[in-house]
Amino acid sequence: MSKVVWKFRPGDYYRIGEHESWFSDMAREGLHLIKMGHVFARFIIGEPKNIHYRIDVSKNKDISLEQKYLYAEGGWDFVASYGDFNVYSSSDEIMAPELHTDPAEQAYSLQELHKKLIKNVWIVVVYTVLMLVILSTPLWLPNGTFTLSLIEGSSILLPLVISILYLLYESISGLISLRRLRQELIEGKPINHHAPWKRQQRIKTTIAIVYILLVGYVIVMPFIQIAISKTHILPEGKTDLPIIRLADVENNPELKRKDSEETDWEINIYTKKHSFLAPIQYQSHEYGVVSDKMWSDGSGTYSPSIHTWIFQTRSPVLSKSLVADLVKRYGLVYKGGEFIEIYHPDFDILIIHDIDDVIEIFTAKGKAVIHIKYYGDASIETLIKVTSDYVSDLTTTYEFIF
Amino acid sequence: MGYDGGPMTEAMYYVLLALMNPNHGYQLMQAISDVSKGRLHMGPGTLYGVLSRMQKEGLIVLSKDDGRRKTYKITTEGEQALQIEYSRLRALVLDGIVLKEGDINE
Repeated sequence: MSKVVWKFRPGDYYRIGEHESWFSDMAREGLHLIKMGHVFARFIIGEPKNIHYRIDVSKNKDISLEQKYLYAEGGWDFVASYGDFNVYSSSDEIMAPELHTDPAEQAYSLQELHKKLIKNVWIVVVYTVLMLVILSTPLWLPNGTFTLSLIEGSSILLPLVISILYLLYESISGLISLRRLRQELIEGKPINHHAPWKRQQRIKTTIAIVYILLVGYVIVMPFIQIAISKTHILPEGKTDLPIIRLADVENNPELKRKDSEETDWEINIYTKKHSFLAPIQYQSHEYGVVSDKMWSDGSGTYSPSIHTWIFQTRSPVLSKSLVADLVKRYGLVYKGGEFIEIYHPDFDILIIHDIDDVIEIFTAKGKAVIHIKYYGDASIETLIKVTSDYVSDLTTTYEFIF
Repeated sequence: MGYDGGPMTEAMYYVLLALMNPNHGYQLMQAISDVSKGRLHMGPGTLYGVLSRMQKEGLIVLSKDDGRRKTYKITTEGEQALQIEYSRLRALVLDGIVLKEGDINE
């Protein structure tokens, strides 16, 4: 059985001369074209030969018998078809006459294709604009949380955006190549059948690899997220986890862990997550009780709790935007109180909300974003101090880069 | 889009000229070489493109079709178009007669 080799195509479809030159160079190395795909060309390994290749525009998918026989009588045999093109070959020994001898006439044959490509580019541009408008809806809606959506749902949005932009790039670069080719033919310059193709192939291969890696990454991402996103029981006492602990805020040796009274499952937990734009994410819930202390309003035994959301984003700009989005999302539950932005030298941004023994802090420093929701009687100052110490710890202990 | 009466390509002109006698495919390529006294060797790709286009424009028609081999002949419109192009080319040559006199003076 003959061995088959796949290779990346050089440049786009419409760089006809480069493709012809590439096929001939491959044949000289013993690789003979048998099929063309959208990204790859398929070759069969054989004897090295001097073969000329010519690419012809086909208005119809099927080649007429008349054309087939006319070309064959002229020494040109059909090899493969792709998109709007047919590839013919002729061995060097046959000394076949050139397939196209009149550049102006060849330019005419590209006229229909040119119109078709312009129409395609318009469709792709309209589609791109529509998709980007739909995907960016959270950005322009009053309570939209675009950054948060991207961070949480990037596995759905990113492949779409990447694919749309790649489609746009392919359509526009194809049109530019065809326009250039047609213009040269109109000016009487025949196609260069020995056009250099290596540079274009390197560019095309690099773009294709980046595209495949990106799409592959975002396809694999949900599985990575499932693998990484695990909920664990929060250990009692000190840990290496980048989480703000209730004991640090309360600073009371009598504080004990509180477990759920109504359910069997654990309520003191932490979850580790991962996404493309926020590779490190921690979420924790911790409940405590001080048995010899009452709530200030006498409503029962003092039982504080702390809930934290920690993110390491890809850039400080993203961090600030994420803080704004977190305020929008979690601010919806409050009917009273105000979100106040405070200048603090330890943070890039610091927003607090304090109402009825519930304090929320939203803060960012470099790539780190911290959101804390605290129920208890510790002061805002204490909470800010603990957060500040925590942020400086992050810079040294964990992989948070500032 | 039909032929608009503008200047013809060289390929169009010679195919029409050769089709003053009905002909087909490969023989037509030979006829074009003959009518141009060996100056023009038309490739099969160019010939097929010109035939398809001129048939659509009504300058030529099929006179015989056996599937793999189609015989074409020039139409009255084709002959008129050829006549107009001939007159145009003749006028161009006559306008350039001064170049011939220049040769003589050398």
